[in-house]
Amino acid sequence: MSRDKANLGLGLVAIGLALVAVLAWVPNDTATGVIVAKRGRVSIGDAMAPMAAFGLVALAGLLILFEKTRTEGAARLSAANVRFLLLLTGVFLLTMVLMRWSGPAVTGFGQLAGLTEHGYRDLRDTVPWKYIGFVIGGTTLVASLMSLVERRVTWRAILVGLLAVAALIAVFDLPFPDLLLPPNGDT
Amino acid sequence: MTEVLNYVWLGVLAVFQGPGLFTVLGVSIPAAPLMVVGGLLTGIAVGATPGLAGPMAMAISLPILISVFGFTPDAILPVFGFLLGIMKGATVGGAVPAILFNMPGTPDALMTTLDGYPMARKGQPRRALRIAQLSSVTGDTFSDLVLFVCAPFLAVFVEAYLDLPEKTALLILSISFIAAVMGASVGRGLLSVGLGLVAAFVGTGQALTPRLTGGVGGLADGFPLVSAILGVLILGEIFKGIEDLIAKGPKHRAEEAPEDVEGGDDLQPGDIGRIAPHVARGAVIGTIIGALPGVGSTLAATLSYTFGNRRHEKRRKPTQAAFGKGAPEGIASTEAANSAVSGANLIPVLSLGIPGNAAAVFLILAADSIGGFNPGPAVFNFTAPEVNPELVTAFGIFTLMAIGNLLNWTIGGWFMRSMGVLARVPGQILLPVVLLLTLTAIYVQETSLFALWVTFGFGVLGYLFRRSDVPVLPFVIAFILARPLEQTAREAFAATGGDPWFLFGSATSILFMAAAVGSVVVLSRK
Repeated sequence: MSRDKANLGLGLVAIGLALVAVLAWVPNDTATGVIVAKRGRVSIGDAMAPMAAFGLVALAGLLILFEKTRTEGAARLSAANVRFLLLLTGVFLLTMVLMRWSGPAVTGFGQLAGLTEHGYRDLRDTVPWKYIGFVIGGTTLVASLMSLVERRVTWRAILVGLLAVAALIAVFDLPFPDLLLPPNGDT
Repeated sequence: MTEVLNYVWLGVLAVFQGPGLFTVLGVSIPAAPLMVVGGLLTGIAVGATPGLAGPMAMAISLPILISVFGFTPDAILPVFGFLLGIMKGATVGGAVPAILFNMPGTPDALMTTLDGYPMARKGQPRRALRIAQLSSVTGDTFSDLVLFVCAPFLAVFVEAYLDLPEKTALLILSISFIAAVMGASVGRGLLSVGLGLVAAFVGTGQALTPRLTGGVGGLADGFPLVSAILGVLILGEIFKGIEDLIAKGPKHRAEEAPEDVEGGDDLQPGDIGRIAPHVARGAVIGTIIGALPGVGSTLAATLSYTFGNRRHEKRRKPTQAAFGKGAPEGIASTEAANSAVSGANLIPVLSLGIPGNAAAVFLILAADSIGGFNPGPAVFNFTAPEVNPELVTAFGIFTLMAIGNLLNWTIGGWFMRSMGVLARVPGQILLPVVLLLTLTAIYVQETSLFALWVTFGFGVLGYLFRRSDVPVLPFVIAFILARPLEQTAREAFAATGGDPWFLFGSATSILFMAAAVGSVVVLSRK
């Protein structure tokens, strides 16, 4: 893709987004219009600012269509970039799922094994249960990304993940009992 | 004059003869100066930690401080000491990750990345940190002196000459200028600004039904500020960095070592002389901008950087780096300006009771919670022979700020530079760990996994911006300024009786608007 085509794509996306927003999104998703007249008083409505912002986006799109950039070399999104984003989203999704659900899952097994009588919700302020999701999810995030860069899974990556998680627990959790580590604010 | 000096002396005494924290050999150690030390070190550490910021540390520490010192007037100075220490420390500390990781530890340090990071990549992280510290503390000290001398007069002057339409026009000028200056082209800068405004308007507004949420309940209060800013700025950069590391592959990791050091990694002979004019200019710009309520350090840093760049290009020797390529002058311009803002921000706070930034909000909150000190015009009432206790407290606060500056000059610099070792951590370890730190920091503030998804979404947006040559800084600045801009415009519109031309009602606002349009037109032709 040449620089002109990259500009054409970006400019058209910006103009298209602005048109859809101004014609459909903003009018249907704001409670008041651009200007509100109530009891003889005229005031700015909730649609004014978004309309102006999308107008700016459209203007930007037009400028991008016709201008030249100050830097050399085409800046554009490649298929490799899209593949990376999909991979990254997968890692983040896995992290979020493990962070959210491994604590309740392990606690459930603990209940079955007779280690505790309580569910995770009752134990989310109790060591070691409250750390389960953060330790497993956080370690997975760090180790996965390190493994992607190094193109192999290593014990070193897992160790770095565990150390990072331990350090964050020491910074956020131990001195401040009121702060909640993930996912204990959601459970 | 004698009355003034008497109040100054009473303020100093209030700090050093105030309630003690503990006793050593029967001597009571006053709490307030020690709290400045504690706050300063905390602030530097917090500022140096991506994802943490001074206001957040202030928010967390305020209830702890009040529970320790109670609700008596004696608590004001120790509590303010710690909060001011955090404010000053975070301003200096924010430069550390900006220089070492290309990630501003605090929003104040956004533009420090432009030259600080390239210097660190050239193998000069300590030199860059030293320049940042010297510039930052000089700017902060200068603005504090202006605060001490001019607080009542300057604040009254600003309030007298800038009404709501002028403030609206000034915000528009700030955004337009930044869009025009930053990035590969004006169109891309405006696109970044437009999207930043749109993101800020989601879920806000005055109607009972939140706007632009698409029915998503989690967005009813808008995108969390911290998620949007840290997502675009930090996660976007991390994602790009990780992809770059993957593309290089494990065989190329050895090339990650810093380039050869040119002349050693510490202050070079002549560095002070090189940065001095930029520090002086930045300090003046930051102080003037900081005195305007609601206009923050980012504009000061941008203006200072732009003027500094212009001067540097005229006088630059072929061997000296250009701005954006690792110029010490670039760091000096931004750090002096953004640090000078923090002191001057207190001018409207102390004299008018108007907070100019997030940190100032917590100072007002502290004063309001404890009682006995109400920032406002009455504070500067020089009564005699009766003593105005609030004025004594005000001079006590000035004394605490002076102590903070002295500490910043000495142990602050050492503490900050000791974090230079972080630059040696390999990218494939550093980037995932910083990602986890950022997400954790956001979670403890927002306590919602939804906020982490929002952060990730903004991270992807930041990544796409970087891959498309769209600057991220205008997005963030527009996101921050959007709500004050809309609110000021609404108030100005109402105050002028619904005049659609309210932005062109005075010479000052016409000048600001003309400059806004002019900056876009002129710079788009370059």
